[in-house]
Amino acid sequence: MTAGSAKALALPLAVLATFELWARATHLQSDSLAPPSDIVVALFGAFADLSILAATRDTLFSAFAGLAIGTIIGLAFGIAFGISDTLNRLMEVTVEAIRPIPSIALLPIALIALGFGYRMEIVIVAFACVWPILILSRAAVRSIEPRLMEVARALRLPPAQRVWKIIIPAALPRIFVAFRLSAGIALIVAVTVEIAINPLGLGAGIMLAQQALRPDLMLAYLVWIGAIGYALNVLLVVAQNRLFGRAALSGADR
Amino acid sequence: MKKVLTALLLSVALTGTAMAQAKIQVGCTATSDCASAMVAIDEGIFKKHGLEVEMTPIGINSNIPAAILSNSIQIGGPTSTVFLQAVDGGLDLVAIAGATVMNPVSNGNITAFVRNGITIKEPKDFVGKKVGAPGLNAFLHVLFVKWLVEKGVDPKGVNFVEVTFPTMADIIKSGGVDAVLTAEPFVTRMTNAGLGSVGARYAVELARTDPIIFYAASREWADKNAAAIKKFREALAESAVIVNGDREKASNSIAKFTKQPIELVKATPPNQSEPALKPEQLAWWIEVMSTQKMLQSKLDPSKLVLK
Repeated sequence: MTAGSAKALALPLAVLATFELWARATHLQSDSLAPPSDIVVALFGAFADLSILAATRDTLFSAFAGLAIGTIIGLAFGIAFGISDTLNRLMEVTVEAIRPIPSIALLPIALIALGFGYRMEIVIVAFACVWPILILSRAAVRSIEPRLMEVARALRLPPAQRVWKIIIPAALPRIFVAFRLSAGIALIVAVTVEIAINPLGLGAGIMLAQQALRPDLMLAYLVWIGAIGYALNVLLVVAQNRLFGRAALSGADR
Repeated sequence: MKKVLTALLLSVALTGTAMAQAKIQVGCTATSDCASAMVAIDEGIFKKHGLEVEMTPIGINSNIPAAILSNSIQIGGPTSTVFLQAVDGGLDLVAIAGATVMNPVSNGNITAFVRNGITIKEPKDFVGKKVGAPGLNAFLHVLFVKWLVEKGVDPKGVNFVEVTFPTMADIIKSGGVDAVLTAEPFVTRMTNAGLGSVGARYAVELARTDPIIFYAASREWADKNAAAIKKFREALAESAVIVNGDREKASNSIAKFTKQPIELVKATPPNQSEPALKPEQLAWWIEVMSTQKMLQSKLDPSKLVLK
């Protein structure tokens, strides 16, 4: 650990220690708060009986499956709209009409149509992930260096090859930024669906712990979800730098 | 990495197939009301009757009708109010067996708990107060409104907001609401923590014996599975005796399903299990909900309970 990261940790640790002391001193009795030490114990307990691992598997499976489907659909439409101006103008009203619908608002319909389980969650996650990918990949394709397109035309590449050999490689760094954005959204939406309705995964774990009057366990789930979100982002940033190097910095948020 | 991925996919696939088997899934919220089903599973009573039954925890009771219709669960434990509103809204559900009914014990568990600094001497003192109900138009809210009306108080004068059970103590403490409509074990916990006092025992004063929660299924599923429902009812008749008579066994099963600490479960007697359900038992609820303008159509209780 470097001195810098130690310094950065000082404040949160001090806050936690203060909270622990305060909770112990006041004999905190609450159904929504618990001292940090209890949360740590509950977290270890949930690991020991494997319940949190099964929940993590369920949530990540739904989030990633939804992300994959959303990415494929978003990318296909994004590239198509980016290439064809006519198509883009024709679809603009449709896209702008559907895009603002909050994915969570689809829950009641999704529950009746698809029932509990992975399917419903994946569909809702996919719906949420389509839009950032679509919009950003459309913009990425449009901002491709015009000379590259001229090369494609000069080489008389058929449309499929033009997409595969010129457009995707040129737009990939920016598409990956969109993917990173969507990955964060996927996790948020997956957990939200589980909190609201779906009886599986980490979100359902939070709800069950709350109803079981176990605030320590509920907050342990919360801490764990935060850790997963953090790890996911670190993983994607590393992947982005490895795969694209300096190219990733153009248009990226860092 | 590949191995991990394969294991992950395999375990997901296995969970998937386990769900697809011909098991009967019973969906209930984390209360003692479905204790008869919990006990019947734990004591092997369903097995003895040739039924494979599994319970699914449902976060919010009002999600149960949709869960039944999507076939995620075949049998659910909706409250009377949720069930009647769903049927009124056009969902083709049918009650197949009783779960719990109100009785002097369970009515005694239900109170309006008032925060420190507020005194309630008579029902009209609730006028102008902010009252938290665990669900608007849900069981406790409907009962409380009925009590206000019986006491000659206009419920419109009371400001109702939604406050879930686990957050009640903290919201009462912070003064976010003046009172909550609650039940045991929350009443004792809040009293012991010195957060306030009982303002009204409205369920005791209403003194009803109507159903709280009953088991319901889609009519389509019920028609196709008449034999299974017969066995389900026979099993409940046995397990209800245990729920009402053997606190130890009942508490263990309830704690296992709700994941609540066993000491907490043991502190409160479970609601009275009553496996038999007759159409006339729904009549009172239909009348009360109609006068509270919660039902649009005229419901016929005899069509709502499976013979």
